[in-house]
Amino acid sequence: MQILQFARHRRVGVLMVGVLVALSAPVQANKDLEKLSRQNTNWVMQTKDYNASHFSEMYDINVNNVKDLKVAWSFSTGVLNGHEGGPLVVDGIMYVHTPYPNNIFAIDLNEPGKILWEYKPKQNPAARAVACCDVVNRGLAYAPAGNGYPATIFQNQLDGHIVAINAKTGELLWKMENSDIAVGSTLTIAPFVAKDLVIVGSSGAELGVRGYATAYSVKDGKQVWRVYATGPDEDIKLSKDFNKANPHYGQFGLGLKTWEGDAWKIGGGTNWGWYAFDPDLDMLYYGSGNPAPWNETMRPGDNKWTMTIWGRDINSGEAKFGYQKTPHDEWDYAGVNYMGLSEQVVDGKKTKLLTHPDRNGLVYTLNREDGTLVNAFKIDDTVNWVKKVDLKTGLPVRDPEYSTHMDHEAKGICPSAMGYHNQGIESYDPNKQLFFMGINHICMDWEPFMLPYRAGQFFVGATLNMYPGPKGTLGQVKAMNAVTGEFAWEKQEKFAVWGGTTATAGDLVFYGTLDGYIKALNSQTGEELWKFKLPSGVIGHPITYKHEGKQYVAIYYGVGGWPGVGLVFDLKDPTAGLGAVGAFKELAHYTQQGGGVMVFSL
Amino acid sequence: MDYNLKIGLASIVLVLGFSQANADTEALKVCTAEDEMPYSNQKGEGFENALALLLGKALNRPVEWVFWSDPRYYIRDFLEKDLCDVVMGVDAGDPRVLTSVPYYRSGYVFISKQKDHLDVQDWASAALQKVQKIAFVPGTPAETMLRSIGRYNDLFNYSQQLVGYKSKRNQYVKYDNAKLVGEVAQGNAGLAVLWGPAAGRYVKASDTPLVMTLINDNNVRSDGEKVGFHYSTSMGVNKNNKALLQQVNKFITEQQNNIDQVLQAEGMPLIPESAAALVLNKK
Repeated sequence: MQILQFARHRRVGVLMVGVLVALSAPVQANKDLEKLSRQNTNWVMQTKDYNASHFSEMYDINVNNVKDLKVAWSFSTGVLNGHEGGPLVVDGIMYVHTPYPNNIFAIDLNEPGKILWEYKPKQNPAARAVACCDVVNRGLAYAPAGNGYPATIFQNQLDGHIVAINAKTGELLWKMENSDIAVGSTLTIAPFVAKDLVIVGSSGAELGVRGYATAYSVKDGKQVWRVYATGPDEDIKLSKDFNKANPHYGQFGLGLKTWEGDAWKIGGGTNWGWYAFDPDLDMLYYGSGNPAPWNETMRPGDNKWTMTIWGRDINSGEAKFGYQKTPHDEWDYAGVNYMGLSEQVVDGKKTKLLTHPDRNGLVYTLNREDGTLVNAFKIDDTVNWVKKVDLKTGLPVRDPEYSTHMDHEAKGICPSAMGYHNQGIESYDPNKQLFFMGINHICMDWEPFMLPYRAGQFFVGATLNMYPGPKGTLGQVKAMNAVTGEFAWEKQEKFAVWGGTTATAGDLVFYGTLDGYIKALNSQTGEELWKFKLPSGVIGHPITYKHEGKQYVAIYYGVGGWPGVGLVFDLKDPTAGLGAVGAFKELAHYTQQGGGVMVFSL
Repeated sequence: MDYNLKIGLASIVLVLGFSQANADTEALKVCTAEDEMPYSNQKGEGFENALALLLGKALNRPVEWVFWSDPRYYIRDFLEKDLCDVVMGVDAGDPRVLTSVPYYRSGYVFISKQKDHLDVQDWASAALQKVQKIAFVPGTPAETMLRSIGRYNDLFNYSQQLVGYKSKRNQYVKYDNAKLVGEVAQGNAGLAVLWGPAAGRYVKASDTPLVMTLINDNNVRSDGEKVGFHYSTSMGVNKNNKALLQQVNKFITEQQNNIDQVLQAEGMPLIPESAAALVLNKK
């Protein structure tokens, strides 16, 4: 770990702090951030709020008038790679980020035609080659001014750095190295601010990176804790009562014992998805990703704690519970996705819940105080690698037909390696008790090979072909009750809804499609009420905010990411892009590269 | 399946080796790599290019190159589909093809800087635990032994770095022999373990003096299974082409000296065939 000093900037930062402290004497940052996240005018974190509800109570735009939604203004980022995540809006400023080179633009909402400040980092261009699936970035984080620091924007950069930037001036406050591209580790995840900490994940599991999450002090970037997904318990940071409520999930020593030899050192389990936080419990939630190496025969065992839903103490990083969804993964069902917090009645009792639509095609709902499994069901009845999850043991009951062992060619595995749910952030309407899920509908054939070359050399691997699922489309949007497992409605989408959904009290669900539509559905019925074709396909999520008394909806356009990798790099081989090029070969007939934000109002 | 074939076919480039070829003489179609040095490339700079020309001359047939780019599937998608007549380098006894009498036997080598004076004789050598990085090609016997001596996991990341972190999913990822030798010459790796014939010319050409040590063929895995480090190389023809096999065998037997000249110029270690192997191959 290397601390990069920016003495000059630091001084500027400290100076700014002095001014701000004198003006407002702020209290603890997370309380302020939580307050901001509840204001309809603002959209201060990628997940909208700590619950990751992606739900706005605004209803100015609603089922009756959404058909009149029109473009209010737009802004091109000048970058053509895939735009994941969404912009932030804080007190009259919109913060727009781009994929690599990871530029940031601050736009004054009073005068959206003008850039307030911009930040263009210098990065090691070698990072581009290390990133697996386009050079995406999932967005910025914001911390209001606190004790010893000004209002700050946090950005993770592809080459492995996290930077803190003065939200008012765009000046660099501090910079830390979190991941080393020299060992194949990049950063695509959005930072997440909770208490006085900014949490950062890691990428590059497939390249033998041993996954970790790190908490840095918002004020100066000092590392507060780091927790690994594999290895000794003290590295994984298990609390003394880890999994006490569910000892059958496994408890101690398993980060070593479930691996052959010291293979845990290259075991993967990075986290590049989304976080959620419960300020009452002081608990942080996220998922660790797939084990490495990719070829399952090379890593016998359960490979704990990859593919795990974590509930950790925010202050120490200690894990209170860990539930491994896919022991010994064979499909690359990296479990880093959305964690949605809700409070719903289970068995007659209001319960704090965590709902997680996993890449493996199952939706898991846990009691988020102790990790107890409440429900686990298929997000679509076409999921076939698993028959069901045994709620008593927590284990998936697999169908060997869809296993990927070396001696077995598996056809029609659903979901594909891209998962039925990838990196989108979903929404939860607490009034309807419905989650709205933008999901993939992609399956695959898995043809393993072990082919001799010469001098005793063998090529060992597999060829993946991906294609639309049995319903004939590549995507769906579904409204789902996580407790009952019932679906209120579903809507087919020709292409995947990669970026997720945003819901409002106007009975609406907004989302973007890979072919470049932003759409609004009636959240009660799933009926499509409005759509608009954007300059390029969407892999990010919509946001909504209010300025000068008017509600706006904003979304990034810019096709790319894993599903759009063929467009970005002009790939033709259907098996290229880890099989994505074949699955999305039609996409090029519907959209091309672009990059920017488009803002709508009535 | 189909996709692979299509791509394979798209990459075929035909070049006539003998432009003044007699129209009555059918060309000898040689399947060879478009870029797998030092074996072969499209410019004809590999030692297998040279050997193919010798073979064509001996058979009095002009050589027509049929280039492949993916070594995983070239037998299946080229030779087995009769897109070519002969492949120049397979292990003797490769069950996918009819293999000729072996025309050379060689082994894997340890490569280190001369000035480092690494006393590395076998897989038990202390030097193998001391050097920080070891360059090797995954899937070779070197990987098996690196696992066996507990060095595989800590080298995993470096071995990915050597190919620019390209995922092996759905694609062939080439470990460049010249680059791996260069890693040792430049001091990035303390050692390289490579197939001698793949390394010879780069070791010879290195400005930094390098040492190549032939690895003995007496290695076993942790479970006692033998891990071969010496291999005999043959030419291969389609299973239905016994007539051509005879001609190829005749060429090798009669022109072993000319073949040896090409191989010796490469700077590869050559090991005499065991008498038993020779008897076996005469059958």
